[in-house]
Amino acid sequence: MIFHEIYSAYYNAVAGILSRLLSGNVSPEDIGRIIREQAFSESAMAIEAAIREERWQLFHKDGSTALRYAPSMPLTTLQKAWLKAVSLDPRIRLFDLPLEGLEDVEPLFTPEDYYVFDKYGDGDPFEDESYIRTFRLILDAIKNRYPLCLGMENKKGLVSQFCVLPEYLEYSEKDDKFRLITSGNRRVETVNLGRIVSCRRFRGEFPIWCGERKKCVRQVTLEIQDRRNALERVMLHFSHFEKEAEKAGDDLYRVTIRYEQSDETEIVIRVLSFGPMVRVLRPESFVSLVRERLEQQMSCGL
Amino acid sequence: MAYSELIKNFDRIRGYMRDFYVYGFKSREEYDRKSARSYDDERRRIESWLGEYMGFRQTPEGKNVFITIDSRSLRHNPLYKAWKAKSFTDGDITIHFILFDILHDPSVRLTAGEITRIMDEEYLAGFSVPRVFDESTIRKKLKEYVGEGLLESEKTGKCVRYRRSGGVLPSCVDALHFYSEAAPCGVIGSFLLDKAGPHQEHFAFKHHYITQALDSDILCRLFLIMRERRAAEIENLSRRAKHPGTLRILPLRVFISVQNGRQYLMAWLFSEKRIMTLRLDYILSVKPLEVQEDFSFRRAELDRVQKHMWGVAARSKASLEHVEFVVRYREDEQYIYNRLQREKRCGTVEKLDDYSCRFSAEVYDINEMLPWIRTFLCRITDLHFSDQVLEEKFRRDLKAMYAMYGVGGGPQ
Repeated sequence: MIFHEIYSAYYNAVAGILSRLLSGNVSPEDIGRIIREQAFSESAMAIEAAIREERWQLFHKDGSTALRYAPSMPLTTLQKAWLKAVSLDPRIRLFDLPLEGLEDVEPLFTPEDYYVFDKYGDGDPFEDESYIRTFRLILDAIKNRYPLCLGMENKKGLVSQFCVLPEYLEYSEKDDKFRLITSGNRRVETVNLGRIVSCRRFRGEFPIWCGERKKCVRQVTLEIQDRRNALERVMLHFSHFEKEAEKAGDDLYRVTIRYEQSDETEIVIRVLSFGPMVRVLRPESFVSLVRERLEQQMSCGL
Repeated sequence: MAYSELIKNFDRIRGYMRDFYVYGFKSREEYDRKSARSYDDERRRIESWLGEYMGFRQTPEGKNVFITIDSRSLRHNPLYKAWKAKSFTDGDITIHFILFDILHDPSVRLTAGEITRIMDEEYLAGFSVPRVFDESTIRKKLKEYVGEGLLESEKTGKCVRYRRSGGVLPSCVDALHFYSEAAPCGVIGSFLLDKAGPHQEHFAFKHHYITQALDSDILCRLFLIMRERRAAEIENLSRRAKHPGTLRILPLRVFISVQNGRQYLMAWLFSEKRIMTLRLDYILSVKPLEVQEDFSFRRAELDRVQKHMWGVAARSKASLEHVEFVVRYREDEQYIYNRLQREKRCGTVEKLDDYSCRFSAEVYDINEMLPWIRTFLCRITDLHFSDQVLEEKFRRDLKAMYAMYGVGGGPQ
């Protein structure tokens, strides 16, 4: 199944070394670099020893090989089935994924086989032709490093135009949306693709803003009472952040989470969701944000 | 046995990686389920694979090891590395590369005997102490690779010939990159990306729960079982039981959370004649059983139940519970109404006036909704549950929160 040596980092590293060897000479430095890229931090010792001692009879002592072709492995049934499965996903139209040869392949799964139950209901229109065109142009601009002129509609229905240098796309599974992360424009850092109403290549002299955006990282320390399985729920819920946890007593834990300032409101409501099992210890500014919400709640008469 | 960064079995490392990543506060002594040496070996392996993400802290109880990752800063799930650390023998790797060199093109068709002879004479004879592979060893490997889909076999009379399978790696690296992170069993996409060679990465992922990677094999097996509409025997841990139990089930659908990273299997439990929920990270093994004729019927039953599931609680025979609450918002907070609309799932949202709206739903388990309802604290003006006990619990928790933060003059 999935855990098989044919997919292993060592096989990939050896394939890389053999390919390089068959296309010319391979130096010890090349071997080291390929192993570092393809495998793990301690792999060099094991792989080089196996080659040197002729335990893997693919390399001769003089640095040659009896192999004639650059290594290549056909796709496995599992890989084909996975490719077929993703071809059934609505987002696939964003990409130009050629799927010849998979006509008779059974998908590993279909949309009927799984259900993402807590995804937000207003995801991007992945099958909309205009959205697809915008997505593809943005992706091309990212790859080929050219600026784009984007039109965005504001809350009042007015369209504003601005130019950016696209850096990369960020996808949120929870929001089911793509955001474009940009540079070159001091006022615009993140653009929701779903809100773009026009997108074209910017031709002309682009006045690139070269300033540096400081990523403002904050941290919050929470105290967790491990009742109603709160510890596991909290740790899993916040597992995608950089964090540190420690045991503070019987059924009492402390966890410090680092997050970007722009996500602070989201973090506040996520902390609130755990009710009295989670208490904010510090900083005081974050405690105030929670307290403020609770005071407002109390004023609602509940 | 000498230490190696490669492993034969994934089960043990699965538990350690989850503990280091999700919790990260246990000291060496607290990992009592295995020997101290086993702990040291697993820690060293994980450090070898994920060194840059490992952290250490000295506490009075000992040294704590943890994995800490801001998944937003990643382009690839680093936990996939564990799936690429399968051990193998010297013979396995030697045969693998020579075999595909001999069968370099689908037009080359050879028998096991012919492959063995070519391997001996043209590839291994040049070594000072050449390896000798007998025909049965080669035949075993050929059979294994036919099973994996790497080779095809053709029988003519008594003679079986082997050739490499067709199918080429898709050229769209962007799609492989995206789906290797965003699709179920994404590790398979990561295997494909490994073959794509050096490439640029244009995607990052927010709210990305990477621990799901550790359950990829279980998930993959469950999908295959569902495709074949089979029953299954699973070995399962539960939070309450100390030892794993065995269940005979009919897997119906996998439920995935993108807000806490958990994955669940919804399955028909034969012994109790009901739909049950199982967490994938608690499933230790999966074995396919016989084909079940009533798969479609049971899945249709799940479809019916699913309409009233907030999360994963499926009590197909229980009555529905009613939940409703009213939120208020200012003129400049119309996004609250939009938020309710996009997060309502099986519920409905009704605008009461320009500054308030009511959410209501009929669900099997209100308990699952409590954390979400709390995210609206600061604006809930009215709240009613048909389950009075749960409503009281919600209000009691709220009072405890007031007290916790000294709101309303209560203790802090």
